[in-house]
Amino acid sequence: MLARLAENLFWAGRYIERAEDIALLLDVTYHGLLESPPAEASAAWKDLLDVLQVAQPFEQAGRPLDDAGVSEFLVLEEAVPVSIISCVARTRENARSVRELVSSELWQTINAFYLELQGRDLRDDLKRNPHELYGMVKLRCQTIYGVASETMPRDDGWRFMMLGRMLERAEMTCRLLNVRYAQLTASEHAGFHDWVGVLKSASAFEAYRKSYKARMEPAQVVEFLLFREDFPRSVLFCLRAAESGLAKLGPLGQVNRPQRLLGRIRAELEFRDIDELMADGLHEFLDRVQEQVWMVAEAVADQFFRHELRSDLELHAHRTA
Amino acid sequence: MTSALFDGYDTERFFDEAFDGGGDPRAHYRRLIDRLAELTPDELTRRERLRDAAFRTQGITFTVYGEEGDAAGGVERTFPMDLLPRIIPGDEWAEVERGLIQRVTALNRFLDDLYDGEGAVLHDRIIPRWVIASASGYQRAAHGVAVPHGARCLVAGVDLVRDIEGRYVVLEDNLRNPSGISYVLENRVAMTRVLPVAFSRYNVRSVNHYSTMLSRALGHVAPAAATGAPSVVVLTPGVYNSAYFEHAFLAGQMGIELVEGRDLVVEDHVVYMRTTRGLQRVDVIYRRIDDDFLDPVVFDPSSQLGVPGLMAAARAGNVTIVNAIGNGVADDKAVYAYVPELIRYYLGEEPILGSVETYLLWDDEQRAMVLDRLDELVVKPVAESGGYGLLMGPSASDEELADLREKIVADPRNFIAQELVSLSRHPTLVGDRLEGRHVDLRPFVITGERTEVLPGGLTRVALRKGSLVVNSSQGGGSKDTWVLADEPDGTADGTSTVADAAADAAATGATAVAEEEV
Repeated sequence: MLARLAENLFWAGRYIERAEDIALLLDVTYHGLLESPPAEASAAWKDLLDVLQVAQPFEQAGRPLDDAGVSEFLVLEEAVPVSIISCVARTRENARSVRELVSSELWQTINAFYLELQGRDLRDDLKRNPHELYGMVKLRCQTIYGVASETMPRDDGWRFMMLGRMLERAEMTCRLLNVRYAQLTASEHAGFHDWVGVLKSASAFEAYRKSYKARMEPAQVVEFLLFREDFPRSVLFCLRAAESGLAKLGPLGQVNRPQRLLGRIRAELEFRDIDELMADGLHEFLDRVQEQVWMVAEAVADQFFRHELRSDLELHAHRTA
Repeated sequence: MTSALFDGYDTERFFDEAFDGGGDPRAHYRRLIDRLAELTPDELTRRERLRDAAFRTQGITFTVYGEEGDAAGGVERTFPMDLLPRIIPGDEWAEVERGLIQRVTALNRFLDDLYDGEGAVLHDRIIPRWVIASASGYQRAAHGVAVPHGARCLVAGVDLVRDIEGRYVVLEDNLRNPSGISYVLENRVAMTRVLPVAFSRYNVRSVNHYSTMLSRALGHVAPAAATGAPSVVVLTPGVYNSAYFEHAFLAGQMGIELVEGRDLVVEDHVVYMRTTRGLQRVDVIYRRIDDDFLDPVVFDPSSQLGVPGLMAAARAGNVTIVNAIGNGVADDKAVYAYVPELIRYYLGEEPILGSVETYLLWDDEQRAMVLDRLDELVVKPVAESGGYGLLMGPSASDEELADLREKIVADPRNFIAQELVSLSRHPTLVGDRLEGRHVDLRPFVITGERTEVLPGGLTRVALRKGSLVVNSSQGGGSKDTWVLADEPDGTADGTSTVADAAADAAATGATAVAEEEV
């Protein structure tokens, strides 16, 4: 397929996942902090901004470092690339430019989401009932994937969209663990409900409880979110899904660079022992995984979207063929 | 008159498509009129709603800017298709078809003679060299760029009107990038849903095989260098172009890639498209971008829409650009005046279709006559199409006429004058009544292995009373156009319907194959 269209679908997949993850993070942070003292709350909001790498633009926006300031920034600030409203607008833009490749059902679902956000008074929603708003965003994002899954052929277009989604999600789960783990291990009153919050922000609480019953150990939460093979938001699950998609995108029988990079991180996750990992330092490990996922995305762009970089080589191959 | 719908219907002094001069329905409209008489006004309103819903769900809307209540993004409107189809009897169509094939064949010969031949038409003084050289659509850069089989005009959208006697007359040839075919196909889909009974009472020839016709012709003009199944793409300026819907529609129908300039790259005079599996060679480009934006190396250097090096690749014979570059020379209004001569010259035949009596203003005698009768004639700038810059003598003010007179004298090559054609009218739904509105017809003529015409075409209708302007942006609408096959007992057209059905089947097959290859 055309490289430009593939790239648009890849990013549509990323953006819609990002919108959902931001909603999850905001929802959990907001509700987790309701009973916390203001100083602790602003520290937590600061951490969230850090993990999303938007602390600097936030400062420049001159908003107060509290729930209203951060929520508004991450929900309705159009200039912020991670804000929900801009993620949804970009998803729509990307989908529109590949209108002939996505099903009309999918296009309509994306468009309806966009129109709903445009039609709402989001500032007011955030004041009155943020949980309802975040719930709506989550549901809409999941509906988009449901509709996509039921109406799109499993071709390269679909694979690029899923690849974008899986890489984004793997990165987001790392970010979530990174910020919350540091907070909770530093806090004196961190307890059961905080770890529940971590799991909930990855929609993982119920699945976790089924496996570990009522036990709530930080190491187990980390293990679950990183290594769990059958849970669709765990980092390992996402990387495996991305890898199997990638295998079908390149020429048969050839392992391309993004595949190699991805295989390496996946293997590391597969064979890593959780206790050892906790002892060595979770933070460094998560940073490295995050960094490598980013490199995979870059390699995907080089391999599939940016022919300028390789056209010479390839043309040489054409000539000599 | 058989229905309240037609109460007060007056053909006035015009040629009416549906009624003869005595006010009686023409034979081929009787079944439609009878069917309409069976529908109550409520029922008719319901059909209109059905039509609007059909167009909206298919996403066939166009955007109108700068209206009241306009949000920043413009207002989305459905394309107004009138509920009453235009009907053309089989024998009448056969004549139009022959005339179109004749005309487009001659124009293809002319263009090929001019750009890739000896210019015999100039040596034999059929048309003055300077008329060609000064035509705005003339492209010096296209000289020596060969097109396989000389099919320089692969798609023509010839605009026809009918005069006061009902004769078909050519208004414009549109040999560059004629659009509107998507409306022809979508109108038919909508019509069979909205008036299924009326439709089934006629034996209407199919239009569904258009994409097969086009796809075959595009494959036929692939360069000799192309091996295997030729790789064909549609080149669009992008989503913001007003005809983008049609570009995407055609690419979708043919199962081929819709590319933008930035998706293509030229290396060693070969065109490639950038795909996720590397560079893929392109053999034929059905471009919907004007000549001037096609290649910044040769034409407008500021154009971002084109592909640097494309012309050189075409010249090297590695890619075929469709329609060919420089066809606009034959769309020049002054060259138009010579087309009957060109038909005689290249084909040795008398023109079948009429053309509008045209006066060339650099000729002293003709100019004097025109200046004398300026208030009776239509004056058009030679380089424009679609009614831009045109002045109707009878409705022009004294200042406008004086102004025009000055311009003509200053630059006579820039204008032509034509006799006013009284366009035919067709009953059109206005509120809950039918009224006569002016119509034209744009059939689509495709040249591949041979030249053929899609039965029907886009009938445009001026929705405003008395208006002669049929453009969609200026209050124009359209009608489905039914070309009739002979009755089932007649044989000729019966077989062509079977052929059309076979073509439909072939189209589906072709699409499946194309997808497998991608």
